[in-house]
Amino acid sequence: MADFIRNPVVTLPDRNPAPHFCEQELAFTEEEKTKIARWVSQYPTPDGAVMWTLWLAQEKFGFLPPEVLRLVGEELGIPYAQVYGVATFYTQYYKQKKGVCVLDVCTCFSCQFTGGYDLLHYLEEKLGIHAGETTADGCFTLQEVECLGACGSAPMLQVSNGPFVHCVTRARADALIDALKAGRMPEFASVTLPQDEDELGGNRRTDVAFCERYATLPIAKHTR
Amino acid sequence: MATKAGDWRSYQRVLLPPVRDLHKLSVYGDYAALRKVLAEYSPQEVAGIVKKSGLRGRGGAGFPTGLKWSFMPPIKAGVPRFLCCNGDESEPGTFKDRQLMEFNPHQMLEGILIANYAITAKTCYLYVRGEFADWITLIDAELAKAYEANLVGDNIMGTGFSTDIVVHKGAGAYICGEETSLMESLEGKRAYPRIKPPFPAQSGIWGYPTTINNADTLACVPPIIKRGAEWFAGIGAPGHPGPILYGISGHVNCPGVYEYPSGMLITDLLEEVAGGMRGGKALKAVVPGGASVPVLRADMIDGVTMDAGSLKKAGSMLGTAGMLFLDEDTDMVAFLRRVTRFYHHESCGQCTPCRDGTGWMENLVTRIDEGEGNLRDLDLLLDLCNQMEGRTVCALADAAAWPVRNTILRFRKDFEAKCRSSMWTAKTVA
Ligand SMILES: Cc1cc2nc3c(=O)[nH]c(=O)nc-3n(C[C@H](O)[C@H](O)[C@H](O)COP(=O)(O)O)c2cc1C
Ligand code: SF4
Ligand code: FES
Repeated sequence: MADFIRNPVVTLPDRNPAPHFCEQELAFTEEEKTKIARWVSQYPTPDGAVMWTLWLAQEKFGFLPPEVLRLVGEELGIPYAQVYGVATFYTQYYKQKKGVCVLDVCTCFSCQFTGGYDLLHYLEEKLGIHAGETTADGCFTLQEVECLGACGSAPMLQVSNGPFVHCVTRARADALIDALKAGRMPEFASVTLPQDEDELGGNRRTDVAFCERYATLPIAKHTR
Repeated sequence: MATKAGDWRSYQRVLLPPVRDLHKLSVYGDYAALRKVLAEYSPQEVAGIVKKSGLRGRGGAGFPTGLKWSFMPPIKAGVPRFLCCNGDESEPGTFKDRQLMEFNPHQMLEGILIANYAITAKTCYLYVRGEFADWITLIDAELAKAYEANLVGDNIMGTGFSTDIVVHKGAGAYICGEETSLMESLEGKRAYPRIKPPFPAQSGIWGYPTTINNADTLACVPPIIKRGAEWFAGIGAPGHPGPILYGISGHVNCPGVYEYPSGMLITDLLEEVAGGMRGGKALKAVVPGGASVPVLRADMIDGVTMDAGSLKKAGSMLGTAGMLFLDEDTDMVAFLRRVTRFYHHESCGQCTPCRDGTGWMENLVTRIDEGEGNLRDLDLLLDLCNQMEGRTVCALADAAAWPVRNTILRFRKDFEAKCRSSMWTAKTVA
C-alpha cells in the first residue's frame, strides 16, 4: 500500500559511485573561471553562485557525479555537503548520466487533460522505453515532469532543459525525434498571444483534433 | 449585462500590448516612467502612489503591493536592502509570467527599477525558473542593452541613483516560488522555506531587509506611474483593480494568456474570450487560479467574477488567475490523482504533515482511481486535510489540502462511483 515508501517519487542517487571522470578532466578552463568569478561577485557570499556554477558544470560534464560536485565546492570554497545538498534538491540537476537528448514531457493537469499522457505513452512506445529510462543507444531519456508553464499550448515537452516544443501532435513528435536523431535541436518557438492573432498574425494550433481528450490512463498499466 | 469589468471588449491592453517586437529596447522606449519617478518623486511618494492605486500582488496571495513596500524598515548605514522579483511560476495552470518575459520584458525590468527606488534597494534578484532557459537568454540580452543605455547600473540617467539587476536561474523546484524558500535558494542552500516571522522585510536574503514581488505585479507599476493611481484604481473590480493576465487552458477552443480587467465574469471568459468548450461539450469544472485553489463545479460559476471578493463568496480564490476549464467527460478522480501527485513530488520534505500527508493523499486517491478504494477512504482523506492545514512551515500543505477537500466535497458522486464499483460488483450483489 505505502507505495511511496518503497518507491519514493524522487530517488536519491548512489552515494559513492565509481568515479566517472579522471583527475585531468576535472578542471574549469580560465574562461569558465572568469564566468564563475562574475557570478560570485553578484552575491554577498560565494554560496549564491552555486546554482549558476552547477548549471555550468552540468553543461560541461553532462551530469553531476560526486567528483564534479566536489570540484564545484572547491572552486567556490564551500563544503561538498552543501553542494551535494543543493544538487540533490533540484530535479533539473542530473545526478545520473542521461541520454544525449532528454525529453521532459509535461503531464501535469492542463496537459493531462489535453493529451500529455497520450504523448508520453506514444513516445514510450516509439522509443521502446518506460518513462524515466534511457534508450540502449544512449540517445534519448524520457521523463515525466510537472507543469512547465506552457499550459496554453498543451501538450508540450522540453528538450534537454532547453527549448520548449508546443502543441505536440503525433506527427510533430515523429518529426522531432527524427530531427534530434539527425542532431538538430528545435528552435526557440514563440507562441503568439491569442489576442494578437487578428492584428499581428499568429502561429497557434489549428490541429486541435489530436489533443481533444486524453485516452490513456494517468499512469498506464504497462509502465508499472 | 454590466459587469465589474465594465466595457471589457474595448479594453486597451497595457501589460501585453499588441506591438510587434515590443521585447526590443528600441521599440519599448527609454523607460519614461522611471525617468519621471527619478525626477519628480521621493521613494515614499512612489510607494504612496502604488498604495493608492490599489495594486495587489499577482503571485497568488493578493497582498497589497504598496503596503508591502512600506513594511521595509528605516534605512541603516551599512545594511544592504534587496528586492526579489519572483519569476518562478511553477503553479500548474499558470503561464502568464513567461509570456510577459517573452513579449514585454522591459516593462518588468522598469517595474523592478521603480520598486528598487521605492524601497531604496541597490540590488534586485530576478529569480526565473530553470525550465525557462530560453527566456533567461532573452532577458539577459535585453538586460545587457538596458545596461548599455545606462537605464540600469551606476548613476542611472545621471540622477545619482544606482541599482543592479541580477538574473538567478532556478533548477526545477516548485517550492522555490514560496518567498522564504526562494531566499534560501538564492543563498545557495536547499530551498527549505523558513518559519515566519521574522518576515522578509525584517530578515530576508542573508538576513537583510528584503521585499519580494511577483514579476507580473512589478510590470503593473510603470503604467501606474505614467497614467496615475486613479486610472489604475478605476480598471475592473474595486478592491482588486487593474489588468489581469488570465491564463486559460484545458478543454477550450482557444487557450492562451489574455489580458483583461479584473472582475471578468467566468462565463464571459469561457464563452466570449476563450471561444467556448471544445467540440461543444458541456462544462464540468473550473479551476480559477492554479492548482492550489478549490475547484468550482459548473453550476457554481453563475455571476461569479474574477476578483478576490467574488471568488471567495463562491468558495474559491483568485490565486494566479491561471484558469483550467474541464469538460463533461473529465474524470475528477484522475484529476485529483494528478494534483496530489504534483504536491507529493514538490513537497520539500521539511514538515512531517506535509511530506507524509501528501504521499498518503496520492496513495489513497490512486487507490480509489484504480477501483480498489472504499468509501471510508474518502473520509480518511478529508480527515487528512484537517490534519495538514495550518500545521506546517509554509502554505504548500494548505495548498495541497484545499483541492483535495473541495474536489471530494463538490464531486463526491464521481468518487463514490469509483469506490462502490469495487465493493459491490455485480457478482457480489447477485
Ligand atoms: C507553495 C507556494 C508556491 C508559490 N509559488 C509562487 C510562484 O511560483 N510565483 C509567484 O510569483 N509566487 C509564488 N508564491 C507566492 C509567493 O510566496 C509570494 O507571495 C509572492 O511572490 C509575492 O508576490 P506578490 O505580492 O507580488 O504576489 C508561492 C507561494 C507558496 C506558498
Ligand atoms: S509545508 Fe511542505 S513544502 Fe512547506 S516547508 Fe513544510 S514540508 Fe516543505
Ligand atoms: S500543465 Fe503542462 S505546461 Fe502546465
